[in-house]
Amino acid sequence: MLLLEHDAKAALEARGVPVPAGAWFEAGDAPPALPCMIKAQVPAGGRGKAGGIRRAETAQQADTHRAAIVGLTIGGHRVLGCRAEAVIENGHEVYLGFTLDAAAGKVRVMLSEAGGIDVEDAGDAMHHALAAPAPHALAAAVDGLAEALPDDLQAAARDAGRIIGKTFLDLDALLLEINPLMLLPDGGWVAADVRLAIDTDALPRQPDLAALLEARPQAYGDALFKRHQGYDLIVIDPKGEVGLVTTGAGLSMKLIDEMTEQGVRPYNFCDIRSGQMRGDPARLIGAFQVMARAPRLKAVLVNIFAGVTDLGEFAELLLTALKAVPELEAPIVARLAGNGQERAAAILTGSGVTLEQNLDRAVALVSNHARQGADA
Amino acid sequence: MLDAVLGPAPQDIPVIVQGATGRVAQNHVRLMRDYGTRIVAGISRSTRTPRIDEIPIYTDTARAVAETGARASVIMVPPLSVLDAISEALEAGLKLVVTVTEGVPAHDALRAHALVRAAGACWIGASTPGLAVPGRLKMGFLPDVALAPGPVAIWSKSGTLSYESGLRLVQHGLGQSAWIGVGGDAIKGTRFADLVEPFRNHAATRAVLVIGEIGGTEEEELAETLAQTPLGKPVHALIAGASAPEGQAMGHAGAMVMGNRGSHASKRAALMAAGVRVHDRIGTMIDAITTDIRKGQQ
Repeated sequence: MLLLEHDAKAALEARGVPVPAGAWFEAGDAPPALPCMIKAQVPAGGRGKAGGIRRAETAQQADTHRAAIVGLTIGGHRVLGCRAEAVIENGHEVYLGFTLDAAAGKVRVMLSEAGGIDVEDAGDAMHHALAAPAPHALAAAVDGLAEALPDDLQAAARDAGRIIGKTFLDLDALLLEINPLMLLPDGGWVAADVRLAIDTDALPRQPDLAALLEARPQAYGDALFKRHQGYDLIVIDPKGEVGLVTTGAGLSMKLIDEMTEQGVRPYNFCDIRSGQMRGDPARLIGAFQVMARAPRLKAVLVNIFAGVTDLGEFAELLLTALKAVPELEAPIVARLAGNGQERAAAILTGSGVTLEQNLDRAVALVSNHARQGADA
Repeated sequence: MLDAVLGPAPQDIPVIVQGATGRVAQNHVRLMRDYGTRIVAGISRSTRTPRIDEIPIYTDTARAVAETGARASVIMVPPLSVLDAISEALEAGLKLVVTVTEGVPAHDALRAHALVRAAGACWIGASTPGLAVPGRLKMGFLPDVALAPGPVAIWSKSGTLSYESGLRLVQHGLGQSAWIGVGGDAIKGTRFADLVEPFRNHAATRAVLVIGEIGGTEEEELAETLAQTPLGKPVHALIAGASAPEGQAMGHAGAMVMGNRGSHASKRAALMAAGVRVHDRIGTMIDAITTDIRKGQQ
């Protein structure tokens, strides 16, 4: 997942990467420097084109820009805040990036003399190398790529590559782009803009990154939900009509696809990981509480087909959770296949939960609820 | 080593289970054994559980392999321990590791990838229910109810979507020649394209069902491989995530669209250009495969 630029720079700065002097910029704050850049903080690219990055010469202008930027929607994300930072003059802009190349099983190192370049459109202007995930290998890769730069820039680029490459490894990053990387006349360098995608699976050994997420729940809500609750629940359509309690990412995605194709609007994606519930209804209660807040919810589909989950136990937990969330009034259709499905059926008889063992028919049932609700 | 799994006697491959004594793992050790897999030993850091039924538990992987002649391992350890477990298995000389664990950090997977390649071994996973040759061998926790011997090979990134598809094949009177869960992580041991060669001459396989999803470029790589070196058997595909929002990992670490990269449209177009039949619904896909196979039988 992409960090906000402000948080990415905090993580880099803590590891010795120089970044422009900057601060989170709220109404009434004094800019950290003038002139300064006011930059929208959203986890998406294309901020400049969308009017989310503006230069201010005065404090008043900085605040005017801030007010204009907050509330914009960029790449589907509402801008929640801005970073103000010093303008770096007189630097030579280049691009430096590190990412994981899944097909090659290596780190891909990218360098271009054209700073600010869009990677997808870079073509021949981008130089690539593959390297093993070790600091010396990444440094050697940057050394080689730097030969494409003018002589007077090579030393600074190599120094930056050594430190930023090590940081990429230290942070367990999936992507670290410095674009532009400003190479300065005195041989120094500054990471002027940063795109950092972190690996949420590495958070248990990255306490600094975890702390950055925890400090900004409004920006990292979905990742924190998974971190705290142990499962995935992502609202994909706030006006959705069908809530999903499903286990398994692939099947949940496919159900959403099939419903969407049939004109039904699913409210959420869910991989509840029923095999990890261990007799505790907390995950189900949490999911139902989220769904109870959905304004247009017409039905809930529970679909569990798992290798190990004891469905008898699951059915009991399902009823316990429904009792704990009485505000969820939408009808529940359950499809429970696997170990203990007969006992599950007995438990759900007379409970008000509709049991349907054929998945296509279960989807048709909730779709009918959604359509009838829409007519009403 | 995948050739032994696809060979005449997969049930003869001696298998160990690393991380065998956890509550869930013990259950799976028994289920795999009961399915017919030759589980010869378990590995645990603790000595509290000396055996699971008749299966001895060792604390040392190298010793277990030396004493039992094991050739493959199912690894069921926590995410941050998977890299070490793979490394131990390779050092002990094993040539096939299946890691079921979800949540392995990507950098660990990259390091494991290099180790596996250097050892000339095969790694299936991570984040997979495993692999099976129905009726013979199961390494992982694929549900028995969805397994039956038959003519269709399943290659899948997703556990549950493959269960649903496997179950419906069984309900249609078909089964599987082999089932390989390549897993839902971006950085992994075996990718779809790696399976083309081993399955080309696999006589039991008469059609392949590929279960992909958004994110990464595995489906596109598969299409490229199939276009260059056709499999010679019908390939059907189902790709989950057509309606997923951009930039959001959908449950699986690898299931994320960034720009056009990894998109449903890109995968669909690439596979179709390579002659793969891409289906929108599970039901229509199963019907099409059933028709294909029945036609071949006439």
